[in-house]
Amino acid sequence: MKFKSTLLTTTAVAVSFLSGVGVASADSTLETVKDRGLLRCQVGPPSPGYYNLDSDGDWYGLDVSICRSVAAAIFGDADKLEIQSVSSQARFTALANGDSDLLSRTATWTMSRDTQLGLDFLQPNFYDGQGFTVRKDSGITSAMELKGAKVCVTSGTTTELNLTDFSRQNSLKISNVTFDDYNVRDDTYLNGGCDAVTGDKSSMAGNISSFPVPEEHMILPETLSKEPLAPAVRHGDNQWADIVRWAVYALINAEELGVTQANVDEMRDSSKDPNILRMLGAEGNLHEGLGLDKDWAYNIIKSEGNYGEIYERYMGGGEQGLGIDRAGTLNALWKDGGLMYAPPMR
Amino acid sequence: MSNESGDRTRSDEFSFFQDQRVRSGFYQVLAVAVVGWLVWYLISNTAHNLEARGMSTGFDFMQVSAGFDIEFKLLEYAPGVGTYADVFKIGVLNTLLISFFAIILSTVLGFFIGVLRLSNNWLVSKVSLAFVEVFRNVPLLIQIVFWYIGVFSLMPAVKKTLDLSFGAERLLLNNRGLYMAWPVPAEGFWMTVLAFGVAIVAALLIRHRALKRQAASGEQSNVLLLSLALLIILPLSVFFATGSPLAWDIPVLEGFNFVGGATVAPAFLALLASLSIYHAAQIAEAVRAGILSVNVGQGEAAKSIGLKPGRVMSLVVIPQAMPSIVPPLISNWMNLVKNSSLAIAVGYPDIVSLFMQTSLNQVGHAVEIVGLTMVFYMLVSLIISALLNIYNKRVQLVER
Amino acid sequence: MAIVTLEKTTARPAPLSETTALGWLRINLFSSVFNTVLTVISLYVVYLTVSSVFTWGYLDATFIADNRRECYKNSLTGACWAGIINWFNNMFYGRYPDAETWGVNSAAVILILWMAPLWMSRVRGKILIAVSVVVFYPFLAGYLFAGGAKSLLMNIMVTGAIVAFALNLLNTLAGLFTDTSIKEALIKVLGQSTAAEGTQRKVLFALLVLCFAVVFTLQSNWLVTEVSWTRWGGLFLTFVISGIAMALSLPLGIVLALGRRSELPAVRVLSTGFIEIFRSVPLITVLFMATTMFPLFMPDGFFLNNLVQVIIAVTLFNACYMAEIVRAGLQAIPKGQFEGAHTIGLGYWGTMGLIIMPQALKHMIPNIVGNLIGLLKDTTLVSIIGLFDVLGMLRSISKDVPWLGLHKEPLVFGGLLFFVICFSMSKYSRHLEFKLSAGSRR
Repeated sequence: MKFKSTLLTTTAVAVSFLSGVGVASADSTLETVKDRGLLRCQVGPPSPGYYNLDSDGDWYGLDVSICRSVAAAIFGDADKLEIQSVSSQARFTALANGDSDLLSRTATWTMSRDTQLGLDFLQPNFYDGQGFTVRKDSGITSAMELKGAKVCVTSGTTTELNLTDFSRQNSLKISNVTFDDYNVRDDTYLNGGCDAVTGDKSSMAGNISSFPVPEEHMILPETLSKEPLAPAVRHGDNQWADIVRWAVYALINAEELGVTQANVDEMRDSSKDPNILRMLGAEGNLHEGLGLDKDWAYNIIKSEGNYGEIYERYMGGGEQGLGIDRAGTLNALWKDGGLMYAPPMR
Repeated sequence: MSNESGDRTRSDEFSFFQDQRVRSGFYQVLAVAVVGWLVWYLISNTAHNLEARGMSTGFDFMQVSAGFDIEFKLLEYAPGVGTYADVFKIGVLNTLLISFFAIILSTVLGFFIGVLRLSNNWLVSKVSLAFVEVFRNVPLLIQIVFWYIGVFSLMPAVKKTLDLSFGAERLLLNNRGLYMAWPVPAEGFWMTVLAFGVAIVAALLIRHRALKRQAASGEQSNVLLLSLALLIILPLSVFFATGSPLAWDIPVLEGFNFVGGATVAPAFLALLASLSIYHAAQIAEAVRAGILSVNVGQGEAAKSIGLKPGRVMSLVVIPQAMPSIVPPLISNWMNLVKNSSLAIAVGYPDIVSLFMQTSLNQVGHAVEIVGLTMVFYMLVSLIISALLNIYNKRVQLVER
Repeated sequence: MAIVTLEKTTARPAPLSETTALGWLRINLFSSVFNTVLTVISLYVVYLTVSSVFTWGYLDATFIADNRRECYKNSLTGACWAGIINWFNNMFYGRYPDAETWGVNSAAVILILWMAPLWMSRVRGKILIAVSVVVFYPFLAGYLFAGGAKSLLMNIMVTGAIVAFALNLLNTLAGLFTDTSIKEALIKVLGQSTAAEGTQRKVLFALLVLCFAVVFTLQSNWLVTEVSWTRWGGLFLTFVISGIAMALSLPLGIVLALGRRSELPAVRVLSTGFIEIFRSVPLITVLFMATTMFPLFMPDGFFLNNLVQVIIAVTLFNACYMAEIVRAGLQAIPKGQFEGAHTIGLGYWGTMGLIIMPQALKHMIPNIVGNLIGLLKDTTLVSIIGLFDVLGMLRSISKDVPWLGLHKEPLVFGGLLFFVICFSMSKYSRHLEFKLSAGSRR
């Protein structure tokens, strides 16, 4: 008897397990996010300037601001957000399998990633390029003089590939030493274990500022690669892609139109520029196409400021900033000769 | 009797299930069915998910050429020519290389420290105790980075290279590694190798005969000197007779770095040091426990028949301690191989760093790459644990 | 000519070597040339290590600064402990909100108070205490950590935990002061000690139900602020992961070990295969598999958060090690014990549960503590897959802009922290080993 009941129980458990794990139907991402009441936004292990923790344990940085902007656009509250920190190997899988709603983590927009991994890259929020850091007293002034040099590099990105390509193109026979963590990479370089460091120029500028004597080091003029860093979403949900894309455009347009975190209320109430009024939802029905509230862009600016303010805060001279000049770089507004250009909102 | 048969009729309806064989058969079928179903369920889900998400599968990517360079490799490889299969092989060899040396070093060091722990020199035993406790109780990842940054990165820079061969420039040390002159055999060198082989065989024969004589007559003969002489003189004389057919590839400073010879990178040294020391601390504990587990009387008896302290250890105590030392020793080796996967922290290109990190980032294919990496580790561990099982079978106390 | 002295020989003082420090030194440090060489080398090694660490970590170090640049201004070569001090809370609680850390602290204190009686010889009912910890504590701790609204089950379990904890405290006091259990003490206080046992039991049960009801109503208004698991971190998270994994892997390990020793070939092969597969791969690959590929194994729409995935992975991994420990423990039990159990008519589960396991578990305790140390150290690997355990937190310091690049000091601090925790555990395990082997020592 006892044995029979064992048999029955086992079968019952097996059946209930089978039926219990039902297959949930895939809603649109916006619906899923709204139902959850929380945006899951993926960043990487802390990386200065883009996403890092402060001593209170809160996330801050340029890419985190994109996450916050999207949350603000959807919920009107930038804190309805779960920041997921995912290792670089797992990043695309975690987005593809639905763990994350949005990826905003210094991912370089490349053709293979865009077309083969089931992702869609959107408007870049930072244009970077790979370069070299060397000691000033080494006498090197151009990357072409690095023949036979040892170069320190971090793994997990396209950096290694770019370095090898550069070395092969110019037959420099550079040998690379690969690290997991850039602190170890930098220490090796500082102790003389490498002749140069290669990495994205922006982050290297930040790192140099943390060296004991920053003045002893410099970034070489050559740029090895184009690195448009852009947020990405799963392929196939156009409405969701539009929301993220226009959240970034709203930041850029706001800067162009002179709308800041401080004056956004005033602008919405008393501006005479129809472009501003349409953007902030005081006029027209632009929000309907996105499926959001009409003050979605207002909420973004109110909570994060415009692109220029965000840049200044995290990349520029702000207290938490890396101190990288913006003028004259690709990240300046198109009016100032940069690449930051957003389609008009009308 | 009647009672018993009555019982039997009553239980007839249940007898099928109460049969021991049926029951055990049922449980086994059930276990296999549940596990089989689970495996099938997971595989079908994975297949479905991969397809639904447009992620490509298969091992075709292994034949694609890899674009990145590898600093330390035992095989011929050039970026853009070598395939991901080559990258995999290089990673496997690098992992095996570091594991091999670390296993030898940690075992030697572990035995040494384990014996020192029992030394009657107070300071020595306390220092070895401190060694064991410190290195056992700090996570390995922290230790690896410590050795790299705190020790090997602080070696002199290239321009102030240390010459360990006292001016001969054959063995150089700086913070980019250890540079050694490397022999390049020329034509006719095979004769020297052959002579060396002959010498080994001869030495073994001599030893065999001496042991036989000892067993027969009890006479001990010292064959060590004779064998050594044979092993050194024979190959050397052949080497010179054939006209010294060996060139040296000497490291020379060229531009930024030393070129030529053989190089051992600081990452390798740091990894070797940390893995060896971490596991030596564990092995030392096993050795100590093993020695302590041997009855004190054994050592005392050995001393009383006039054996010297060294021989007491090597002939009486250690052989008896081995059965309890070997199992933890071998599982330490297994752990060491697995722990070498932390190499990425200091930039040593092992299989995890090359394949599961860099390659995975270039080509995706997470399932295949992680699967292959796990299969590799599994094979290595299974071989090591097969060794352990064979040993266990041999030394297991035979019970009734 | 008699060679006899009539005076009594007075006892001579002990040789100098036994009484003076110099003699001690001679015996223990310089007894032979070899020993002297060893001593000198050891002293030199100790001196080198201590002096360089002291210069870097104390003499040249900066303790108060607002950012790393200020540390550099003070000294370019010394340690910058100011960053550690600035991040101190984070290393223990991770990103847990400062206002809510009392929950974590009180959960820790409660656990200590709850478990402490197990080590007190005068306290009665230790098995009940252990069971109550395993059954109720996880719910109470879980609620203190995560907070939010309580479900009915949570309400009941939290009430149960509070009642059990209070009873446990009273029981401990009763044990310490009157050397009785809470049951006996209560009966005495109520003046029921002469009543029949059935009546006693009824009275106690009524009391218990009353307590439960009172606490239930009281605690139903109690609401802890909700804290998402993503804010858990630091040493707290390390303890949560390794604690849960430890608690779950022990029973799982026992099952696997029994399976491996089973007489049914299919069960044996499956268990052996499972154990060997998980034991033969590095934890980092298992963790990676869990976080990256687990969602691929599951049907669409099935979501488990990262923390649960990691805990499952660590548990499965550790269960296989535990299984081997249990197997070794079982092997140490003489065959006669099995035969004896069979003789008195016990079946398989009876033999295992009543005779074999209790003996084997006792042998295994030192190994289990050793395993816990290993687990605690291994848990640091979760920082590689993006959880902010203590090592993850330590690594984040170097990415925070004011402390950019500060990574050696956090590593040293982490090393020290782990050393203190693991060393005290290994000391305890040695002590246990010594105590348990007391019976078999000559």
